Amino acid sequence: MTTQEVSAVFTPLRKNWWLWVKENLFNSWYNSLLTVVLGTGIVYALLAALRSLFGFDYTILRVNLTLLMVGQFPRDMLWRPWLSGYLLVAAVALAAGLLKAQAQSKAEQAGLPFTKTRPGDVLRRGWPVLVLVVILLSLTQTITPTLLTVGLLAMGIAAYFLGRVIPARGRRLAWVGVVLLVLGGYLALAAFGGRGWSQWGGLHLNVFLTIAGIAFAFPLGLLLALGRRSSLPAIRTMSVTYIELVRGVPLITILLFAYLAIGFLLPENLKPSPITRILIAITLFEAAYIAEVVRGGLQALPKGQVEAGQSLGLPAWKTTRLIVLPQALRHTIPPMVGQFIALYKDTTLIQILGVLDLLNVSFIINTQPQFLGQGLFILTMSFAALIFWVGSYTMSREARRLEKKLGVGER
Amino acid sequence: MTQATVYSDATHAKGEPIIELIDVDKFFGDFQALKDINLSVGLQEVVVVIGPSGSGKSTLIRCINRLEKHDRGRIVVDGIELTDDVKAVQAIRRETGMVFQQFNLFPHLTVLDNIALAPRQVRHASKAEAEATAMQLLERVGIPEQSRKYPGQLSGGQQQRVAIARSLAMKPKVMLFDEPTSALDPEMIKEVLDVMVELAKGGMTMIVVTHEMGFARAVADRVVFMADGQIVEVGTPEHFFTDPQEDRTKLFLSQIL
Amino acid sequence: MAALTTDGLSARPPFWRSLKFIRWSIQLVAVGLSVAIVFYLWNNLIRNMRASGISTDFSFLTQALGVNIAGSDISPGAPIWRGLLVGIKNTFALVIVGVPLLTVLGVLIGIGKLSTNWLVAKICAVYVELFRNLPPLLLVYFMFNAVILQFPAVENSWDLGFVLINQRFVAFVGFVGQPGIGMYWLVMGVTLLIAIWVWIWRTRRWEQTGEPHRRVAWSMALLGAVALLAFLILGGPIALSIPAIDGRVATGGYQGLAQYFGVLIALSMYTASHVAEITRGSILAVAKGQTEAANALALKPTQRLRHIVLPQAMRIAIPPVISQYLNFTKNTSLALAIGYAEITRITFQTIGNGHPAPQMIALLMASYLVFSLTISVLVNILNRRLQYASR
Repeated sequence: MTTQEVSAVFTPLRKNWWLWVKENLFNSWYNSLLTVVLGTGIVYALLAALRSLFGFDYTILRVNLTLLMVGQFPRDMLWRPWLSGYLLVAAVALAAGLLKAQAQSKAEQAGLPFTKTRPGDVLRRGWPVLVLVVILLSLTQTITPTLLTVGLLAMGIAAYFLGRVIPARGRRLAWVGVVLLVLGGYLALAAFGGRGWSQWGGLHLNVFLTIAGIAFAFPLGLLLALGRRSSLPAIRTMSVTYIELVRGVPLITILLFAYLAIGFLLPENLKPSPITRILIAITLFEAAYIAEVVRGGLQALPKGQVEAGQSLGLPAWKTTRLIVLPQALRHTIPPMVGQFIALYKDTTLIQILGVLDLLNVSFIINTQPQFLGQGLFILTMSFAALIFWVGSYTMSREARRLEKKLGVGER
Repeated sequence: MTQATVYSDATHAKGEPIIELIDVDKFFGDFQALKDINLSVGLQEVVVVIGPSGSGKSTLIRCINRLEKHDRGRIVVDGIELTDDVKAVQAIRRETGMVFQQFNLFPHLTVLDNIALAPRQVRHASKAEAEATAMQLLERVGIPEQSRKYPGQLSGGQQQRVAIARSLAMKPKVMLFDEPTSALDPEMIKEVLDVMVELAKGGMTMIVVTHEMGFARAVADRVVFMADGQIVEVGTPEHFFTDPQEDRTKLFLSQIL
Repeated sequence: MAALTTDGLSARPPFWRSLKFIRWSIQLVAVGLSVAIVFYLWNNLIRNMRASGISTDFSFLTQALGVNIAGSDISPGAPIWRGLLVGIKNTFALVIVGVPLLTVLGVLIGIGKLSTNWLVAKICAVYVELFRNLPPLLLVYFMFNAVILQFPAVENSWDLGFVLINQRFVAFVGFVGQPGIGMYWLVMGVTLLIAIWVWIWRTRRWEQTGEPHRRVAWSMALLGAVALLAFLILGGPIALSIPAIDGRVATGGYQGLAQYFGVLIALSMYTASHVAEITRGSILAVAKGQTEAANALALKPTQRLRHIVLPQAMRIAIPPVISQYLNFTKNTSLALAIGYAEITRITFQTIGNGHPAPQMIALLMASYLVFSLTISVLVNILNRRLQYASR
């Protein structure tokens, strides 16, 4: 290659690079000033953060990693959370594969473009999770968790591709398999001498309360949303009253109520465990928010859709089930993910009730004799923050991606 | 208000009456959308309803299948009176198909599923049966090759033809068209009108609200002119277009022709 | 008219097939069911409370509170209802300072995200993504335990002259009235009225003649001049009170508890990340079409932002931002976790002292509800007016 050719390749690049800096960092005197001041500050802050990152003694996290992850789950039964994790990852991966395969065959039939997910996309979209997993594994004390995680990953990939290749006829059966896997994930923890949710803790409890809370609240929220849009005034009034009352108070007051006062409302022989009470409170609270999310989807539906159903002679409930809900719910997926994230963050509130969730554990381990008064709050809290942040950020990015996709979708 | 002008040859419906409206009134709050409507449509008859916007044309046909509830008077379709009886309403909706200005196809279903949905859910047809019928209908409206696509992938004209096929799948005795070509680009109007003409020739009873005067001339057995919620004039196309009696009809025709 | 032929289906439909009957019966069943459930729960409540010997009315509110409320003059012997009022006051103290704080922060960051300076835009984007994806409670804890508690103890407070900072409280410079303070306030009140009148007069003049209004300069100059003059004439009716450390307590100035600032800053930063996104979205929503129109009018970029984009963006942004204010208000209940005595904390403590939980929690919920519902009624009115104006 001659020098001329080299410069022909590099000159535009270098010129662009310089132009870019000029246009985006130094395009006016005050922007230049801002850049210099902020740039200095950022470099300083990054250096300080790096220094303290290497300065910390991570023993507190190493010793308590199991506590942070699963709380006080019996240590001789740790195979149970792992097994449960395997089953749930298998369920999620299989479901993802099935959904992708269904989308593909739908798109192929209709002659729509279909983009395959490439490994690069997965890395680009899921890098925070991967980084978090690496950090967690770096804190483990034996090789076993790393091996198990690699196995988990391999099995997840296998389950995904299994879902992709199952022929159309077998998909219904495969969905039954997904449900069974989820059920198995629960049973692996609770059944056959295991521990029910009343004895769960750590990150595991936060995740469980989020999933179960949304799952239980969804049917109730759906009914409330339909009730709020109903033409029957009494139903509408009751739905609106419930939704507005619940949305008018903070979650913590409902948690306090469930924790301290729900016993009074139930017959004497019924004494739900603290976690069950919390789950009731979360369900009642989330239902009102899900109702509003679903209402948004219902409102977005053109009136003509219902009229078309009616004019075809479909009874009202079939119009709702076959025409209104499939369309409305599709559009509520992104805000529903938002609601999921909000609840994931809100599950930290149970800490106030003294339950050992991730936040509470990351707080309490600072009172262990060997770590007392060492100012490690900043480390343990940052650790908890990292875990919550990775989950929320990844999900919110996926939700935005979905929103864009739905926006240019089939309509 | 004077009685509507009715030509001698247009007094009665052609053939056995299948739709009858007697003294029908409809209010939206204080606004009276339909005033004292009397209309009888015979079996296999094609009635075209024209009139300025806001004259109550759409409300008229939306009352016939209870998308709007009439406040006074009687509406009878195929021997079933429209009352508060939900069973009667369902029966009438099964007997009448409706085609909307905005197509109102179900965007989440394929073309085939759009057409097969109601027969399967309402008439309890088998999947194979419903889909076979749907394919036949798609061939009849000329777009069998689009059956696996979604409505969003079709042109307006194609969507409206699917909407017609969807209504026909319920084997209705009456078809109601609510400005079926108003939302279409000009070049697509003909393909939809062609399907409607073919349908009329096949002996379907139709009430068509439209601005397409060519269609009215060629296909209508009778033309109904409405203004301010009233039927102003009823007549055969020849009479109606060549020799209108009422001033309001003349004015309207002079504006659009 | 042809004979009307109807068959049996419609002649006399049985009553249970009439839509009216169906609608009524569904509603009656739903209402009946709800009433039955509420009645059942209520019955249980009363029975269970009686069985455990807990009072079922609100008479206990006059009993002694039994706890100390830091930063207030309430003694443990004061009745519970007074404690609750202090709690409401403390909640308001968070809202009144927090709302302007988070608004300024959020709007600046939202505009910053649209900056042409890449670095500024990136920093603002990182801020938004960082804060809105963290649990607010964790932020409160972090702010208090990992930041504020690392500050020096009281006796080693950071003394910045007008501000004292330590791990227990922050003290600002304050003002104390001297003799003549009443007269001074009176003079300033009258001057303020005159200043407002000047503002209006300048605005009118600008509208009529088009000469520059300079209403800010005119009014502020008037206020400043009178303030200075009156201060001198009245012989210094106001004195500065500079906070100082005296052993383990501070004297002088205004003091705010560390817990208060912990909650305030953490929640303001959290809510600001949401407000920033709303601001950015609203500006973008307006900017698309309107900017071109404004360019066509040859307005300068700053004029464009001020007269065209911002007023319209505000109209879009106000409802969601107010809903964020409501969220902020509800989130102040998280102060419970670090011991700031707002209403939720006081309720929690009172229940802990053995007072009946159902009534206390009902009162707590009612306090938040009154606030939330009032705001949402106001928002609805505002919305209607905005919609009306935009037509």
